[in-house]
Order: sequence, then C-alpha cells, then structure tokens
Amino acid sequence: MSNDVTSGATAHLDLPTDDVHVSATTPRRSGLRWLLLAAGLVVALALPWFIYPPIAMDIACWALFAISLDILLGYCGLLSFGHAAFWGGSAYCTGLVAVHYGVPFPVAVLAGMLFAMLIAVPIGYLSVRATGIYFAMVTLAFAQMIYFIANQWRDVTGGENGLQAVPKSFFGIELVETESFYFYYAALPMILLGMWAAWRIVHSPFGRVLVAIRDNAPRARALGYDVETYKVVAFVLSAGLAGLAGGLFAISHGFVSLQEVNWTTSGKVVLMAVLGGIGTLWGGVVGAGFIVVLEDYMASSGFEGIGIVTGSVFVVVVLLFRRGIWGTLAHHLGRRRQAGTRD
Amino acid sequence: MAMNELLQYTIQGLAAGSFYALAALGLAVIFGVLGVVNFAHGACYMLGAVVAAVLQDTLGLGFWPALLVVPVLLFLFGVVIERLLVRWLVGLDPLYNFLLTFGLTLLLVDLVKRQYGVSGLPYERPEVLTGQIEVGGVGLPIYQLFVFGFSLLICALVWLLMTRTRVGMIVRAATERSDLARALGINVGRWVTPVFGFGIALAGIAGVLAAPFRAITADMGSNFIIILFAVVVIGGLGSIVGAVVAGFLVGLVEAFGQAYAPTYAQIMIFVLMAVVVLVRPAGLFGREEAAR
Amino acid sequence: MKRKAAVSAAVLSAGALLLSACGQGGPGSDGGAISDDKLVLAVLNDQSGVYKDLSGPNSVKAVEMAIADFEEKHGDDAVTSEIEVVSADHQNEPDVANTKAQELYDRELADVILDVPTSSAALAVANQAKTKQKLFINVGAATTELTGEQCNKYTFHWAYDTYMLANGTGAAVTKEGGKNWQIIYPDYAFGQDMENSFTAAVEAAGGTVGGTIPTPFPNDNFATFLTKAAAKNPDVIGTMQAGGDLVNLVKQFNEAGLADKGIELAVGLMFITDIHSLGVEQFAGTSFTDAWYWNMDEESRAWADRFLEETGTRPSFAHAANYSAATQYLEAVQRAGTDDADAVVGELEGLEVDDVFLRNGEIRAEDHRVIHDAYLARVKSPEDVTEDWDYEEIVTTIPAEEAFRPVEESGCSM
Repeated sequence: MSNDVTSGATAHLDLPTDDVHVSATTPRRSGLRWLLLAAGLVVALALPWFIYPPIAMDIACWALFAISLDILLGYCGLLSFGHAAFWGGSAYCTGLVAVHYGVPFPVAVLAGMLFAMLIAVPIGYLSVRATGIYFAMVTLAFAQMIYFIANQWRDVTGGENGLQAVPKSFFGIELVETESFYFYYAALPMILLGMWAAWRIVHSPFGRVLVAIRDNAPRARALGYDVETYKVVAFVLSAGLAGLAGGLFAISHGFVSLQEVNWTTSGKVVLMAVLGGIGTLWGGVVGAGFIVVLEDYMASSGFEGIGIVTGSVFVVVVLLFRRGIWGTLAHHLGRRRQAGTRD
Repeated sequence: MAMNELLQYTIQGLAAGSFYALAALGLAVIFGVLGVVNFAHGACYMLGAVVAAVLQDTLGLGFWPALLVVPVLLFLFGVVIERLLVRWLVGLDPLYNFLLTFGLTLLLVDLVKRQYGVSGLPYERPEVLTGQIEVGGVGLPIYQLFVFGFSLLICALVWLLMTRTRVGMIVRAATERSDLARALGINVGRWVTPVFGFGIALAGIAGVLAAPFRAITADMGSNFIIILFAVVVIGGLGSIVGAVVAGFLVGLVEAFGQAYAPTYAQIMIFVLMAVVVLVRPAGLFGREEAAR
Repeated sequence: MKRKAAVSAAVLSAGALLLSACGQGGPGSDGGAISDDKLVLAVLNDQSGVYKDLSGPNSVKAVEMAIADFEEKHGDDAVTSEIEVVSADHQNEPDVANTKAQELYDRELADVILDVPTSSAALAVANQAKTKQKLFINVGAATTELTGEQCNKYTFHWAYDTYMLANGTGAAVTKEGGKNWQIIYPDYAFGQDMENSFTAAVEAAGGTVGGTIPTPFPNDNFATFLTKAAAKNPDVIGTMQAGGDLVNLVKQFNEAGLADKGIELAVGLMFITDIHSLGVEQFAGTSFTDAWYWNMDEESRAWADRFLEETGTRPSFAHAANYSAATQYLEAVQRAGTDDADAVVGELEGLEVDDVFLRNGEIRAEDHRVIHDAYLARVKSPEDVTEDWDYEEIVTTIPAEEAFRPVEESGCSM
C-alpha cells in the first residue's frame, strides 16, 4: 500500500470518521438517533401511500443494494464496480428457485442471497489482492464474466429474453401475490433486516477493524490482523446484502433480465451510494430514492437522454459535494451542534 | 490451409489489438502522471470516431487529414477537461477521479446519442486502403495491415518521445517509478495538463482508425472500456510497454478465441486477467512490489 | 441490541397489518360500456435508445393518426369521443418496461399498450397484461415466445418476428439461386432462434447450410468469422447480427472484398432506419425480409406522404404497424360497443383484415399471431436511389400463410 500504482499517494476520502470511531454515544446523540430511526421507519411504512407501490419497492431494493456497496466503499475503501454480479446472480437464483419450486418468496430470496455469497468467495479472494483503483477494475471484469455466463446459459437463464413469470408466492396470501401494495409490506421486513444487519456489521468490532485497515493497512497488519481475510469476509457479507436486495427486486418485478448483471447496474448503484454519501450507510437510501424517482419521472417526461442528467449530477456531486447528500447534511448538522455545545 | 488461417487470424488479432494498445497506452500515461484511471477513455475513443465521421459529413474532411485533426481536437478536449474538472480532484483519493470520469462517460454518451441519433453514423473509407493483398497465397485485408502498421508507428514514436526527450523522460519516470521520481524531486506538475490531453488524443487516434472499420455509435466505447481495463490489469497499469504488449496480446486472444472457441472468446480475456491477478497481481510488466 | 431489533420488527409487522387492513381498493371496472368514460391507448417504447428511430416518438404520432382517422370515419356514431394517447419511454430496460406497464394500466387507465420493442421488455409487459387482464398489442419486439410458450389471452403480436425474418430471407434467397450457405449468428437467444429458423428455411427450400458460426455479443471484430465462412466458398453468407454489430459485420464484409468473390450477403434483421443512418452504399445489394415498405404501392405511399407531413420523415414498418394495430383495436371496440378486454379480444380473434399495413391479414385465434404478406427486399445501389428514403426494391412477396410460423408449431396454449 505504499505506492501510487495501487492506492494513490494517501487516501483522502471525505469520510465522516467520527461517526464510526465514537461508539459511546452521549444521551443527546442517542436521542437524536432514535428520532431519526423512528422517522425512517415512518417514511418506509408510508412510502407506498405516496409513491406508486412498485416504484416504492424499487427504492427499497436499490437502497439496500447501495448500502451493501457502501460497506465496502465507505468502510473498507474498496470501490466494487462489479456488484451487479451479486445483485443479478441472486436475482437469477431467486427467480429459478421461485419458478421451479414455488416456495414462498422469502425462502427463494434467502437461496439467492446464499448463492450471491457463494460466488462472492472466489471473486472476493481474487479481487482483494488488488487495492484502490485496481480493485474497481478487477471486480468490473469479474462481473462481466458473470454477465457472459448468464447470457450464454440460455436454457437456465432465458438469455436475452430473461427469466419470465417469477411468482410471488407468499404462504397462500392472495393479496400479497397480486397487489404490489401489499407485497411491499410483505417484503419490507427483509429489507429492514438487511439494513439492520449492515448497521450491525459496520458498528461491530469487526467493522472497526475494517476501518483501521482502510485507514492504514500496514499498521493493521503489524497489529496482527489478517488484512486479506477481513476484506474477503466484508466482501462476502456485502455481496450477501446485495443479493438479498437483488432477490427481492426479482420477485417484485416478476422476472429477471440480463440488465441485472450488466455493468451499467454496477455503475448505477455506485452512483446512488456516492450521491447519498460515501461512508454514511444511510446515504444510500437517499441516493436510491433520488435516482429511482428521477428515472421514473424522466421515463414519462419525454426528455431523451437520462444520462445527461444523471451524469451531470454525478460530476457536480463528485466535484462539489463529495460527502454526498446525507453526508453534507450530517456534516452541517454536526458542526452546528458542535458550535452549540461550545457556547 | 492451416498456415494460411493462422496468418489471417494473427493479422486480425494484431489489428484488433492495435485499438487496445493505443488506447491502453493513453490510459497508462495518464495514470502515471496524474494517478487517474480515466473511465471516460472508452467515450474518448468513441468521440474520435464520431468527430471523424461528423467532420467528413459536414466539411468533407477525409481519412488522412482526420488522422491529424481529430487527435488535435481531442487533445484540446482533454486539456479543457483536465483544467475544468480533473484538476480539482488530483491529490485526493484516485477513486474520486474514477467516479468523475464515470459520470462524464454517462454525460458524453447520451449527449452524442441526443445529437447524432442511435443508429450510427456513416463513414467512407479511403480507396487506397480497401481490398486485399496476396501474401503467399493468403489474402490479407489491407486496412487491417495498415491499422497494425500505423499503431506500431505511433507506439514507436511515443517510445522515442519517452526515451529521447527531457519531457518524455520525466513522464516515463513518473509513470514507471512514481515514488522514485518524487523522491528525486522531479516535478511533473506543469506537464499534467498536456499529458492528460496527450492520453486522450491517443484514444482519439484509435477512434479514427476504428471509424472506417467499425460501427460508429454512441455506445461503441462501452464494451471497449471494459476490455481496456482487462488490458491494463494484464499489462500492469504502471508500465508503458506492458500496456502496448497486453493490448496486442488481448487482440490475439480475441481473434484466436473467436476462431476456435467463439462462444468463449470474450470470457477468455477475463480468465486471462484472473490468472494474471492471481499469479502476478501487478500485471505482467508491472513491478511486483507495486501491487502491495 | 437483539431486543431492540425484536421490538422494531414487532412494531413493523403491527404497522404493516394496520395498513393492509385499511389498504387501497383494488383495480376494477365499473361495468359500464367504456370504463372510466374514456379510451386510453398507451404507447410504451424506446424513445431514447437503439430503437428510437425505428419506433420511438413517431409511433405515438402514428397512433394519433389512427385515432384521428377513426374519429373522422365514425363521427357521432363512435363508441366514445374521449380517446387519449399516453406514452412512456422504457429505455430498452425490461425493469422499466415492467414498472411502466403496471403504471400505465393502473394509473393512466390504459385500455391497451402498444409497441414495446426489445424481447425481454415485451415478455415482461405480456405477463403484466395477463395479470391485469388488459390488452397488449406488441409491434416492436421480435421474439416468437410472445405467441409461443409464453402466449396469453390478452397479448397480440402484430408486425414481425424472428421466424418470419429468418424464414423469409432463408427461403426466398435460396429460391433465387443461393444454394450454398454459411451462417454467422450472435450467440444469444435472439441469434440462436434466428439461426434455427434460418437453417430450417434454407434446407426446406432445397439449399444446404455448410456451416454455422456463433459469435460473441456484442462484438466488433467479425473479420475472423468472415474469413472462416468465406473459406468454404459459399454462395451466400447469412448474418443474424443486428444494429451496431450488423454494421460492424457489413463494414468488414466489404473490407474483405467478399462481394467481389461472388458471395452474397443476406441479413436476418435489418430496418430501413439502419440503411438511412449508415448510407445506402454500405448495404447495397444485401437481401433482407421486410414486413412493409412505404413505397411498395400506391396505398402505402399515400399514407407515407401523410406521415411525412406529420413527422417530417418517412415511416418504418413499425410506424405503419402501430397505426394498423391502433386502428384495428379501435374498430374492435366500436363493434363490441365496449372496451371490456374480453369482449375486444373476442372481436379481434380470427379477424381477417386488410389495411394499409396488413395485406391478406388474419389475427390467428389460436396463438394471437397476426399474419400478413411479407416481402423480400434488396437494398438499392446508390445510383438507383431517386429520393430520400428510397432504399428498397421488393424482390418477391411472401404470402401470409408461408411467411409466419405455422400455428401447430407455436406451442401456445392459452
């Protein structure tokens, strides 16, 4: 990690490190946390009343996907540009299990999630040998391999036509199976569970070691941590959460297409995570909400070229608001509160 | 017969590799001096072809002048991008510039789509370069030979520039031994902008060369950039020679893969990359200690 | 920490139950002749990507033309005077198409969705049509699955499909004298389907397929494959490449001078918009199957002139087919006196019909494949082109019953 080729001179990610290091929270902060948590839950529960339910479900899935990416990007300093492999790999596995065995969808999604973690082991093992920008390129290339396999293995995946007619079986509850409004509430607990798991991962001792590795790998190694193993485990956990999100996405849409494993999907989730704020975890939710709603709006607006808008937004965010939406807000709030306590 | 085919596939592979080699060279030089992996490199390759087609359509600019004019225009484009955008992120984590150029790619591709449509642009080839020449009873397409020869020439010129001029030596030192270069107090600062433009111009040359030979669409760089990443991982990002050699190597793997195992041709490139990452993480020509 | 999670999960599920108890009402029709007092035709297609030129915004125009003609024809006798067009861009992403289709049916109250190019998107929309029990008339997609194993009662396939393209070109070119074939195809669902149909058609017409060569997709280097194919000295090289890949292949075909060696190039999937944007000289002499051509007769030309006035460009077959589909849908509603989906399906099934697009047309009741005459076209030489968009010469007409997959091979059961 001492050389330009792999990691750049010194890492300067604008990360809200205080959030990670300060684990003993003051009563005031913990009060705010509960307030935020409650607000978040209310928003999650109310969403399909204000937004078309399938779109609300899309937001929830992408939000968890963005969070899973942020575990790697924000807490390990590893930019995975191939996360579509896990989202899409799980989507296919979930879809196949649901189509062929007709099990209730949470079971199928769990199978997809396990599959994503399974393929993450070799990919992660190879990829973590590279760091920094190398890691991004290597993961991208591996994801492309998954894409080619999904495209070629037509008998199983349906190839270009996609895997169609994935059922939403849910213990025989008809409303959940036919109405997207009810499906949202059936799927939401899994999403929230995934988010909670992500939060646990980064706030555990394990998460703190990850941050230590991110900030100074040689020191972590000197302290006796097996840096590579930690990274692989983080990679596999992140892939599992991405898989959970992808599996639910497949069920929600009722089919799986090659788009799910394409590199543009990897790019989209990076966009969301960065837009929301690297290393903020919850920023991914904001980023996902923003992009999904924007794309949905643009699809009906008659404006050609969504990339012009998303690309410009992305360039502006990277140049001017590197903390992302959530990160910028948190930073300003934090500063004001700090100023307040000083008085 | 088998020998004939071998020769034909070799030429085809080297021609395909020429595009990768030129573009990878640009990518490597930019990375060396700025520490930036330019995701927009595929988009710049696309711009090279699109600009050549548009100039031919509007001004009647032919292929030969385009080989000179388009790289100059792309050089200027690169200078503007560096001054306006990339500059502000140098010194931060290189991921930011990777992300910036990713956003730029989305923007450029959709701008071209909006302006020039999606079905592609026509391009007329120079008459001299059409047809085949017979070599020992084998018909070899002249254009492919030309692409290979021309890109070798460009690579040789770049090599001369790197080894015989002061600027070049500074750039090369920065690319291949950035730590040493810094330790010795070599200042690359004022070369940053022109080097970025130069790297973009190399992608532009690849684009012009592709114009008569490949479909000119806004998306032509999307697949290209991903293979290009595999190329630089195989060659080693910090190596100028590595970029060129890996470029041609990947072109050959592609051509022979297509000939003998067409379904797996593209996967083979990524398998090769995986093997290289496993055995030599720094790439075939990268310095081993650089990977850790 | 664990307790906290348990509590929040409990709160959550309680909330979910509460919400579902007082949830929204399901979609439903009120039983009137025209639901919601208006007829809504939705065009869902690619307005920004590769199929923008082929269908895109101008398909919406074509549907508007159909409505205007319908209103003019029936005047006060029309079943309703409230007819609307809505449109959405699916960006060629099946996910977007899927969500947009639901939204169009549920929120925009669409009675029918038209167009939908891209096979995966079309199949996703077909599934939505089946669930929502609303009509879907596909024009833009090529997959035979729509009228095959994934067919359903509410989905119709109007203009063309892979079988028609491959069968038309394969059989017609073979009958024209191209007996000995090599086939190059992209190795994914579309290409494999095309290759199968092509080989079958060539062999049925008395030709032989000497070899089939799969290629990666997408791909920009076809030189190797062309070399391999040409080495066998075929009369014809058939390519199933489409879009950008097709252009790559044609450029490299020309570059290798294969036409001079007496090898003909037959194309599986090509649209007039491809010829227009890349220049007729790129494709001169290649044969392909077209579903309709704007300059093929007086009737078509008259309609194409109107289209030109409306849009400033000549129509592709997809534009004409969207016009035709919208017209026949409206007529069916008129006859049924209601927009009830089952009644309209009943009116459409088995209908034999001629219009500007459909010649000797029949809406097959068994699989909802709309069959009609198709055409083997050859791209003109640049010197024969007399006006804008004058690119095709119709070589032969392929009768409706030969052009499409026989119903017994479809594998469709509704």
